[in-house]
Amino acid sequence: MSAYAARPAPGAGGAQNLDYRVAHLADHLAAGDLGELGVRIEIRGEAVLLTGTVPSAQCRDDVLRMARDELPETPVHCDIVVADASAPDHAEEVE
Amino acid sequence: MIRIAAVGDIHMGPESKGRLRPSFETLPDSADVLLLAGDLTRHGTPEEARVVAREIEGLAVPVVAVLGNHDHHADCPDEVAAVLRDAGARVLEGQATVVGNGGARIGVAGTKGFGGGFVGRCAGEFGEPIMKEFVRYSRRRADTLRDSLVELREQDCDVRIALTHFSPVPDTLAGEPPEIYPFLGSYLLAEAIDTAGADLAVHGHAHLGTEHGMTSGGVKVRNVAQPVIGRAFHVYHLARPERAATGASGVRAG
Repeated sequence: MSAYAARPAPGAGGAQNLDYRVAHLADHLAAGDLGELGVRIEIRGEAVLLTGTVPSAQCRDDVLRMARDELPETPVHCDIVVADASAPDHAEEVE
Repeated sequence: MIRIAAVGDIHMGPESKGRLRPSFETLPDSADVLLLAGDLTRHGTPEEARVVAREIEGLAVPVVAVLGNHDHHADCPDEVAAVLRDAGARVLEGQATVVGNGGARIGVAGTKGFGGGFVGRCAGEFGEPIMKEFVRYSRRRADTLRDSLVELREQDCDVRIALTHFSPVPDTLAGEPPEIYPFLGSYLLAEAIDTAGADLAVHGHAHLGTEHGMTSGGVKVRNVAQPVIGRAFHVYHLARPERAATGASGVRAG
């Protein structure tokens, strides 16, 4: 066996890298039961931060649960907010 | 004064039943019409559409809607539209309608629109069939928007509104990653709006964008995605009636 063949190829095992797993999580949030495209997933150091606005508290909980299930060894921080359903208190005059 | 209420991207499902209804019931106090700028459901199922229908059914103001990409996900947009129509909404795709409330004639031309990007950074009708079809699909949506706005010129409207889901301008996408702008809107929509003229353009789709923008022809654009406006809807007051619409032929006027 040559010295070259003994070395692992560049990228070998890289499919488990956090960036790919985050990309797959984004795909699963969109294409799965949640249909959620409004959440941003960003890698922050060793952790992941979820941000965005979702239509309900249940949706926020579902997104967080899915993220923690798919990234069990990564701390997941959640800054997702639920959309405000109150009526506006003013109007804009469009000139 | 004409009062336009608008919201998009409410993404309703069974768990959000009744969430917007209390605010929508205040609409007669503040608005003459409610515009829904697409992505009314999460997956585009008839069951989710029925949740939306119950939010708008029997409201004392007319409701005009376009569908969004989420409303197409289950591949039954016609059923979704039918459920909303049964609840009294006028659902537009390449069509125009005139609603009247309190004497004003409000013309609305609507299409979902599509992506493709903005001038200098857009997809072209070139190469693989699927790429060409992407651009042609977007162009067809824009062409129907232009034609329906033109049609409204003949209908003695006090104002004409362009209602889309995808954005006609990049201004209202500020906050979104620039790399995904081509999936958020198309300049073809703005060109259609500027060619036919309109008093206001309203869209959704870009949750991380900003509310205010303008076409190069001078038509004000508002991104009413609910995460952007942070309320059940926003209300825009338009003067009545400046019959010479802003933006008509504006692209060529200079």
